[in-house]
Amino acid sequence: MSSEIKLIKYTIKKPITLRYPSSLIPEKKYSQIPEGLRGLLQRDNEKCIGCKACHYSCSGKATTFQYRENKLIIETFILRCAFCGYCQEICPEEAIKLTKTFEITINNPNEKEAYVTTELDLVKCKNCGKYFATKKFIDKTYQRLIEKINPIIKELVMNDYKKIEEYCTDCRRILSIKLNTHPKKYVWLEG
Amino acid sequence: MIELLLIIFISFFLGLFYSFLIRKFSARLQWRIGPLIFMYKDLRSIMGITRIIQPLYDIIKLFGKRTIIPESSRKRLFIYSPYISLIFAFTSIFFIPFSSIPLLSNIPYSIVIVSYLLIGSLLFMIIGPIASGSPWAFIGVRREAELFLVAEFSFIISLFSMAISKNSLIIWEISTKEFNLINITAGLLMFTSILGKLHIKPFDMSEAEAEIVAGPYTEYSGKLLGIYYLTKIFLIYDFIALFISIFTPINTLPIYLSIPLFLIISIFIIFILSIIHVLNPRYRIKNALIWYIKIISILCLINIIAMVI
Amino acid sequence: MSLLKKSRIYSPWLYHLHCGGCNGCDIEILAALSPRFDVERFGIQLVTSPRHADILLITGPMTKQILPMAKRVYEQVPEPKVVVAIGSCACGGGIFYDQENYAIIGIPNSVIPIDVYVPGCPPKPEAIINGIIQGILKLSKKS
Repeated sequence: MSSEIKLIKYTIKKPITLRYPSSLIPEKKYSQIPEGLRGLLQRDNEKCIGCKACHYSCSGKATTFQYRENKLIIETFILRCAFCGYCQEICPEEAIKLTKTFEITINNPNEKEAYVTTELDLVKCKNCGKYFATKKFIDKTYQRLIEKINPIIKELVMNDYKKIEEYCTDCRRILSIKLNTHPKKYVWLEG
Repeated sequence: MIELLLIIFISFFLGLFYSFLIRKFSARLQWRIGPLIFMYKDLRSIMGITRIIQPLYDIIKLFGKRTIIPESSRKRLFIYSPYISLIFAFTSIFFIPFSSIPLLSNIPYSIVIVSYLLIGSLLFMIIGPIASGSPWAFIGVRREAELFLVAEFSFIISLFSMAISKNSLIIWEISTKEFNLINITAGLLMFTSILGKLHIKPFDMSEAEAEIVAGPYTEYSGKLLGIYYLTKIFLIYDFIALFISIFTPINTLPIYLSIPLFLIISIFIIFILSIIHVLNPRYRIKNALIWYIKIISILCLINIIAMVI
Repeated sequence: MSLLKKSRIYSPWLYHLHCGGCNGCDIEILAALSPRFDVERFGIQLVTSPRHADILLITGPMTKQILPMAKRVYEQVPEPKVVVAIGSCACGGGIFYDQENYAIIGIPNSVIPIDVYVPGCPPKPEAIINGIIQGILKLSKKS
C-alpha cells in the first residue's frame, strides 16, 4: 500500500524537473553547483612566468610546452584535461585558476577553442645566443633566492647572481670558473 | 461515406493523443514533466511550440531515416510483414463503432471480423521479427507469442461471452442492448487482455529494453520501424474504442452526448493503464503466464455465473 | 524548414556506447536521463538497439579491444547520425592517454568521426544535455 501512497504524493507535488536549457527563471536553471567545482581552466598571461610546473604536475599530460623561436608557448588541451586541479595547486604565481564554467562543448579538436594558450617572450643568452627563459622567470628566481638565503653569504650571492643573470644554464656552468661564480666557494664560507 | 473518411483521421489523431497521454501520465506519476505541452518561451525557435504530437514526430523522423535490411533475414517476409500488420490494424478501425456512429459495425458477423483483424495484426507483429534472423528478436518473439496466446484467450472469451449473452454476432447490436452484470465481468476480462496486448508494464517482457536489446524490433530500423509504430497507434485506438463501445452503454446515447463521454472514458482508461504501467516491475514470462491463467480462470468462472443469471 | 527536418530535431534517440573507462561518465549520462533533468520534455529517448538511434554517445578512452565492436555499432546506426563524445577519455584520452600506451587509441576521431566533444571528468549532466542539443542542431544540418 505504501507504493500507492507515494504515487499519490508525487503526483500532487510539483515536478522535481529543472528547466535546464531554458533560462527564463535563472534560479531554476541549474542543479546544485558545489563550491569546490572545478571547471574550465584559466591561465593569467600577466602572472605566468613560464616555470612549466603545470606541465610536470599534469595528471594526463594535457599541458605541454614548446620553444618556438623567441617565444615560449604553454598550451593546455582542454579535451584531455581532467580538471583535477593539480596545476592550480602547484602554480607558484597563482596564475592558473579553475573557473566554474562547466558547460563546455567543442566541435573541432584542432581549432583554437580546444586549447588554453599562453605565449611568453624569451630572453637571449649573452654567450651562445640561445633563447632560454623568460625575463619574469629570472627576476622571480632572484627574488626567491634572496628571500631564503643565509644572511652571511647574502651579499656574495647577490653579486654572483648579477654576473650570471644573462647566461643560459649551460653557459653558466662553462663560465663559472672564469667569472668566479663556482658554488663550491660557499661550502668553504659556510663551513 | 463521409464518416468512413473522417474516422481515419479521428482514429489516427486519437491514437497519437492516447500514446502521448500514456507518456505524459506516466511521466507525471514519476515526479517529472514528460513531453511539454507548452515549450519554454526562449526555446521555441529551436524546439517547437508544442509536443502534443510527439509520437507523430517520432514516426516522421523514422520515415526519413535509412532502412537497414540485415543479410541474415528472409527479405520479403521481413519487409512486408510490417505493412500487412498496419493494414490489418488500419482496416479494423472501420468495424468498430465510434461513439454512437455505427460505421461498418452493423454488418453481419462484425465481431468475428474484428477479432480476426486484431489477431492478424498482432500475428504479423510476431512473424516479421522471426524473419529478421536476430537471436534477440527470437527471444522476444517467443515471449510475445506465449503472451499473445494467453491474452488472446481472455480476449476471445470476453468477446464471445458478450455475443452469447446478447444473442448476436454484430458489434452494433451487442453495444446497443441493455447494460447488465455480464458487461462488467466480461469487461474485466477484456481489460486483462488489453494489458498484455499493448505491453503495459508487467507484461512488457517481449520488448524488455536492455535485457534483450529491443526485443522483436532489434533488427528493424528506419521506415519499417516507423510502420510498426504507426500500427501501434492504430492498435491503441482499436482496443480502447472496442472496449468502450462493447462494454459501456455509450452507443445508446445521442451523438452530442456520446462523443465527449467517449473521450472522458478513454482518458480515464489511459490513466488507469499508465498507473499500472508505472507501479509494476516487469514480470518474467513464466510469472506472466501463471498470473494470466489464475486471473482468467477466476474471471471466467464469475463470467459464466453472470451469464447463467 | 520542412516537417522532416523539424521532426529530426524534435525526436532524437540516443544510444549509449561504453568503450572502456571508469564508468563515471556512464553514471552521469544516467543522471542526465533521470527525472531531475527529464530529457523526455524535448522528445529525447534512450533506445537499446543501435538501429533505432540518431545520436551515439561514446564514453571511455576507446581501448583496442572494443575497437571492432565500436566500429560495428557505428555502422549499424542508420544515416543521418551524429556522434557525441562524453568525458575527457572519449574526447582526448584523458588520464589514460600516453604516447606509448599499448591498449588505448586516444583520440577516437580517426576511427569514428566525432561531431561534438563534451570534456569533463566526468561532465555534469547539464553539460551532457548541452552537448546533446549541439548534436541535434548538427543532425538537422545533415541531409
